[in-house]
Amino acid sequence: MIQRIPLVLVGLLTLAAMRASALDVVATSPSMGALVREVAPRAALTVLAGSNRDLHTLQAKPTMMRALRGADLVVALGAELEVGWLPVAIRSAANPGILPGTNGYFEAAAQVPLLDVGGSADRALGDVHPVGNPHVNMDPLRMATVGRALAERLALIDPAGADGYRRAAEAFAGKVEQRVGGWRGKLAGAPGVVLYHRDAIYLLDRFGVPLLGTIEPIPGVPPTGRQISELTSALKGRPGIVIYAPYQSPQAPKSLATNLGWQAVMLSLEPPQGADGDGYLAHIGRWVDTLAGAK
Amino acid sequence: MHESFLRGVVAAALLTPMAASAASDAEIAELRSMLGEMKAEYERRIRALEDRLAKAEREAADAVDTAAASRPISAPVVHAPATSQAAGTGGGLGALSTGSAFNPQISVILDGNYYHDGSGGEGATLVGEAFTPGRAAHVHEGEAESGHSHGGEDGHAHAATENGFNFREAEIAFSATVDPYFDAAMYLAVDGDGNVDLEEGYFQTRNLPYGLKVKGGKFLSDFGYINKQHPHQWDFVDQNLAYLNLLGDHGLQDTGLQVTWLPDLPVYTLFGVEALQGDQEVFGATLGDDEQGELNLGDTKDGPRLWTAFAKLSPDIGENHALQFGLSYAHNTQHQEVHRHEFELEDEGEHEHEGGEEHEEEHMHALLENGLEGDADLWGVDVVYKYDADGAYGKGDVKFQAEYLRSIKDTRINSANVIEEATGEVLGSEAVLIGSTRKFTTDGLYVQAIYGFAPKWTAGLRYDVLGLTNQVSGGESEDFGSSDRWTLDLTWNLSEFSRLRAQYAYNDILVSPDERERFDAFYLQFLMSLGTHGAHTF
Repeated sequence: MIQRIPLVLVGLLTLAAMRASALDVVATSPSMGALVREVAPRAALTVLAGSNRDLHTLQAKPTMMRALRGADLVVALGAELEVGWLPVAIRSAANPGILPGTNGYFEAAAQVPLLDVGGSADRALGDVHPVGNPHVNMDPLRMATVGRALAERLALIDPAGADGYRRAAEAFAGKVEQRVGGWRGKLAGAPGVVLYHRDAIYLLDRFGVPLLGTIEPIPGVPPTGRQISELTSALKGRPGIVIYAPYQSPQAPKSLATNLGWQAVMLSLEPPQGADGDGYLAHIGRWVDTLAGAK
Repeated sequence: MHESFLRGVVAAALLTPMAASAASDAEIAELRSMLGEMKAEYERRIRALEDRLAKAEREAADAVDTAAASRPISAPVVHAPATSQAAGTGGGLGALSTGSAFNPQISVILDGNYYHDGSGGEGATLVGEAFTPGRAAHVHEGEAESGHSHGGEDGHAHAATENGFNFREAEIAFSATVDPYFDAAMYLAVDGDGNVDLEEGYFQTRNLPYGLKVKGGKFLSDFGYINKQHPHQWDFVDQNLAYLNLLGDHGLQDTGLQVTWLPDLPVYTLFGVEALQGDQEVFGATLGDDEQGELNLGDTKDGPRLWTAFAKLSPDIGENHALQFGLSYAHNTQHQEVHRHEFELEDEGEHEHEGGEEHEEEHMHALLENGLEGDADLWGVDVVYKYDADGAYGKGDVKFQAEYLRSIKDTRINSANVIEEATGEVLGSEAVLIGSTRKFTTDGLYVQAIYGFAPKWTAGLRYDVLGLTNQVSGGESEDFGSSDRWTLDLTWNLSEFSRLRAQYAYNDILVSPDERERFDAFYLQFLMSLGTHGAHTF
């Protein structure tokens, strides 16, 4: 019995050490979670938002603060996308290690060049964010860059695992490279798409797919019937497809698609909740196939 | 070498006009072609320089971006232009400065309404003055000469909501990170008459270890749930009866220190304590110096007099659900009030009135003025549940919220003066009352639910009641009835920045022990949010 005590102690210490060695990472969205799973597969990961939730309108809740309380790193999409809830959740989490400006705070949008930068800071134009369009997760190549930057950040926090993170990020970038050619082929000559909101433009921009219009006339403002009929007459006779997210009203996309004889497809901007790198790439693959299938 | 050649050519070109009359056509043609070459050469070189400059700018911007990588991206971004301009032109005219980028985040919320009730416009005042024995508030509100007629509700002259158009307030909020150690915020409320009131002005620590945070200054206490919300955050136009009557218009808003602790547990658990000065309108009020003297009450004690403790618990019940329970307690070490009971005294002829008063009757009005002193306790239990549906613009979202408050004021009668109402002359004292205790217990609760029935539209229902227990006990015991209200509202959130609301309430308010007012009240409210993108805590 007495001999066992040291054994138990060693066991407990090992457990504690293991707990300490596993990085505690919080990702705001499933796509960021997928990147973390890919680059740091051993990290304990919490994803705050579900795959069919609007990251811009989510509300802070205590369970988020609990997850952030002990986190070593927060991985956000950034560029004000999560502005309505993440800053307040971080502030309420009483964890100085993850405040913006520290190594524990990582924004994907800060690692890559952004689209839609600048423009007038005038709310008459809707919920505009002059800092740039935050939905960088829709571009697989930007995600590969973000993955490399994430590996560097993880290496700062956990130098012992640096090589592993870098290798994993390179491997992910390799997987992206492999697929990009095929995707480019599929999307060559894709007729274009009407989105609800300018949330998939990074994907369109990457593969040269035309954005034919948005259902929302300006960000955050639902369309009127007249705006839909104007859009209809502008696009009459063209091929295309309408894509909208699960949290966007389906009526307007469906009626526009019916008017034009197109398909209206609901696609999430985020991979499923538990996705890893492959899950993320499959999600981009779904978008590519949908865009390529436009008639 | 190349440059000196060019300079020579330019000098020559400039001097040429003087000799031009003597020059032949051939020479002029030669000069023209030379000048043409020079121009082309310059253009090439300028282009090369421009390219190099652009490249340098890009690199500088990239360097700044990389350096800023761990910061959140947020407008306004000020970096590359200032430095690259200075480097590029070798002499910007303006001073290099970060300009206004260090300004705090500013937002302004405008809150106004159209109001109508069936009580001649008194309704909005009556709901805040429902009868409770521990707060003889409305009985003598007309007594101007005493400065504050009761409970020390001084200083906050609120523009009461009247029938018709009302501008409730413009809330101006500033917030910023002070330095690596502190965040700070300030909230000003400007009412329709232009009176400015400091709602909050506090600092909060950023980097204490172990999940600790310290807040100091003037702030809204974290007691309960709705207490720390500003009026524009409420789901209904007006505050619930329990808070309004047990804590006053501003709730527990006071100056002091707060310490919270969020331990690193598997379940969200927050503990907090506050030490506050105790200058309260209703809960732990103190009177002015003169009245304290007249009524044989003690001086206002040194602060802090108001202490609070609270705990919140939030189990994880799934990704799209949030649930939080709260338990709160507050204790004010000093509470004073004066109760005035009006009665008629036989005219004994021993006093003489000042001239000019009308003597319609031989009876004279007298007051029994009791000065009470003691302490006050407050308990609060709250529960909040939110469901985040996947519908567009908040469709399908649910928010349920309920709170129960119980206020207990333990007091002793220190003085019982009989006063002639007209002159304020002290006629005598009801000595038997002195030393007798009075314990005032009043509770209240509200239950409300909000449902997003369509994109951008929510409907809300609230039931609030004050005085399920509404009693005085001690030397004299009596039970009074309760006041309650049903409220229905419809809110249209046009965007994240504007909101229109219609609200109907049926009020049944106990205005005095034997008098009730039953009336309808109707609001149309607008809320406009200017400036920084708001974020609200749970």
